[in-house]
Amino acid sequence: MTELYTDGNDAAGLLAEFMAADPTTTRRRCQSCHAENPLAAHRAYRGAGVVLRCPACGDVAVVIGDCEGELVIEWRGAYRTRRPPQ
Amino acid sequence: MARAAVLERLSRRPPLRWHTATVRDVVVESPRARTLVLDMPEWAGHRAGQHVDVRLTAEDGYQAQRSYSVASAPELDALELTIELVADGEVSPYLVHELRPGDQLELRGPIGGHFTWSVPDGGPLLLLAGGSGLVPLMSMLRHRAARASDVPARLLASVRSPEDRLYGAELETLEPRAGLHIAWTYTRSPPPGWDGWARRVDADMLAELGPGPDERPLIFVCGPTAFVEHVATLLVDAGHDPGAIRAERFGPTGG
Repeated sequence: MTELYTDGNDAAGLLAEFMAADPTTTRRRCQSCHAENPLAAHRAYRGAGVVLRCPACGDVAVVIGDCEGELVIEWRGAYRTRRPPQ
Repeated sequence: MARAAVLERLSRRPPLRWHTATVRDVVVESPRARTLVLDMPEWAGHRAGQHVDVRLTAEDGYQAQRSYSVASAPELDALELTIELVADGEVSPYLVHELRPGDQLELRGPIGGHFTWSVPDGGPLLLLAGGSGLVPLMSMLRHRAARASDVPARLLASVRSPEDRLYGAELETLEPRAGLHIAWTYTRSPPPGWDGWARRVDADMLAELGPGPDERPLIFVCGPTAFVEHVATLLVDAGHDPGAIRAERFGPTGG
């Protein structure tokens, strides 16, 4: 089933429409398992939108969708995000 | 001062906008892959390893968008993308078969600072490519060559057959440069008389290729998701630091 996902690099263009910082190097600490990983290392599942999941526990991290022409992003269960020096 | 700092920060990372690129040339890389050489008047430059989004718009307004890694070195005066044909794809057949010099397409980027390498980042470098996952790694090797860097670098490219090789002749010209070692493995049909590797990447292969975990290499793995997961697991099992492994997965095929 590994063929079904890509990773956060794949969603970087979409995320960049929202974020001033580089989305791929931004680190997210997971509320479920406390693992901290760059968004680039999160698994990306593409369907009607994109769902990013924590690479350590698989919990939903970010949901990106197009709702009637509006780009919508839900950040789920992150204790914190960190932007390294750029 | 504060304002200057803000302006400097803004200038370092301009907002992501769609640009119009003009095809300067189309280079045949393999039976299934073409390199698009693009002129980008407003291009701010990229770092080796980054990708761009390409957007196609049909006459009825339908849009399709795909991500493609930059193949060229940042030092080149054009932006090169190598596109591999996905037989039932929506975008790649047009890019591979239809685009001609003078044609235009919409493009935005560069995107992603995670899967990047520049000479000052140092090494040693361990680059592992599955199929067209070689493209962003080629940008790194071209950048390394353009800067005449002697950072130790090893590349292992896994392909099904000789027809799937990308940049074969150019890699041969790069290889004599100090500190670069290039290896191929053929997973389906090796060329006649081949006495090198002819199997999927495995632990023995990585051990023979080096560098080992004790040399603390910077590792970049790019390819189909199954390839990346397989190789990343082998690397961690071999004792490499998971934090030193950067990966880019492009799914089963791309499109």
